[in-house]
Amino acid sequence: MREELVWTDEGASEQPSLLRATLEFVGALWLLLIATLRGLFRGRFEGRECLHQMAFIGATSVPIVALTSSLAGAVITLYSTSLLLRVGGSGFVGGALSVAMTREIAPILTGIMVTARCGSAIAAQLGTMKITEQIDALRALGVSPIQYLVVPRLLASLVMFPLLGVVANFAGILGGLLIASALGVSAHVYFRSVQLFTEPFDLIGGLVKTLVFAVIVIMVCCQQGLGARGGAVGVGHATTRAVVLSMVLVFVANYFLADALFAKR
Amino acid sequence: MRSRKPAAMPPAIELRGLVYTVNGRTILQGIDLQVAPSEIVAIMGPSGCGKTTLLKCIAGLLRPTAGEVRIEGMEIGQLSERERMPLRLKLGIVFQHAALFDYLTVFENVAFGLMRHRKLSRGELERVVRERLAWVGLEGVEHLYPAQLSGGMRKRVGLARALALDPHIVLFDEPTSGLDPINAYQIDRLIRRLNSELGLTAVVVSHDVVSVFRTADRVLMMEAGQILVEGSPDAIRRCDHPHVQAFLQMASTERL
Repeated sequence: MREELVWTDEGASEQPSLLRATLEFVGALWLLLIATLRGLFRGRFEGRECLHQMAFIGATSVPIVALTSSLAGAVITLYSTSLLLRVGGSGFVGGALSVAMTREIAPILTGIMVTARCGSAIAAQLGTMKITEQIDALRALGVSPIQYLVVPRLLASLVMFPLLGVVANFAGILGGLLIASALGVSAHVYFRSVQLFTEPFDLIGGLVKTLVFAVIVIMVCCQQGLGARGGAVGVGHATTRAVVLSMVLVFVANYFLADALFAKR
Repeated sequence: MRSRKPAAMPPAIELRGLVYTVNGRTILQGIDLQVAPSEIVAIMGPSGCGKTTLLKCIAGLLRPTAGEVRIEGMEIGQLSERERMPLRLKLGIVFQHAALFDYLTVFENVAFGLMRHRKLSRGELERVVRERLAWVGLEGVEHLYPAQLSGGMRKRVGLARALALDPHIVLFDEPTSGLDPINAYQIDRLIRRLNSELGLTAVVVSHDVVSVFRTADRVLMMEAGQILVEGSPDAIRRCDHPHVQAFLQMASTERL
């Protein structure tokens, strides 16, 4: 298997048509995914790099994920509460939010925020390493760039994305509580409703989504970084493409996952 | 003085009909080359003639479109990336801009390959790294990051990193470009000394005529992906090929 096609400029057209560019992207992504999965089970485990990435992708993303999801929780509650109170449905406020939060908002916000924060950084770092020959230097030292750079990032994400998803759920439901109580729904009623309407599968399904998003974000951003060409401008383009493609693919995957996981429930 | 290996040894590097094509452009068009063990071969030529591509094909970083690349008798051209990994350890490469890992210290850069391919205790690791840095004339910079070093120091750290795993062959991509004459002289002396003391085979890609003539045993002139002439530094000086003469004259110190 020619895993070096991920980073070599060989065979990549200079001004490809949209169709060709799409096919090249899918091909490179597929090659990278296979090589990464193989590296996950076969190669040397880069523990230190993995810990670094867990801190970067996980720990330092907690504030931004918590902030955005608590605001999302708050704004949904703002609309739903005024609506539900009009029909006397204060007992639905917490439940409505928690179902939306666990199934949709927490996983999506985790995916989007980590893409913006870390995906861009990963693409820029790997892209810079590519154009300054550091990727070649790794290979010259007998170290696979996939083993050393991609595998630890994927492992770290697979651990951290679900944890960030849990953080997002808590923050969102607390943000909702704040607004709900300000609008006259008591904390007791709110939490009772959360309990009543949220099933364990809502939470588990949502966290399964974050695992899929982790794979998408890391694979796309690493592929774009390793495929960067042509100096600082090339790294800039790679970073932009990494973020845009990751986010679009997260939304596309989210639709199909929602259909598969929750549509029949 | 020079530790020449017996004649039965296969050539350190052997290229046969090496062709490299990318995006429809042919960069190398049929290169044949043999480098004997402990020989210093310099490859000269104008920018864009395929020198660096040739070096990367020898290093196994690029896959040749056609032809053979043999390192110590072993054909590496068509091996997969994974199969080539262990073979790369026979070669060290010093990149044009050093290509140091900028998020690691000097110590971690030099120790990088050792930590992954040798089982050394912390003490041994430190000893080897310090020794390699001493070889290239650097001491007391272990804790610095590449951004804190000058260009010449970075190149020397790059060389120390390439030497860490005791390669038999070292490939140099423009070792003296961008350096002042004193630094360039020191790098040249270092290449010569490593060759005489360790019997290192070296391929030096450069367009620095002065530096090439004082280090190389044999010089190759390349143009447009082909080898134009080859011979000893003296033979190249006397060569009457117009391109070679033009190249050498433009590099002379005569006042315009």
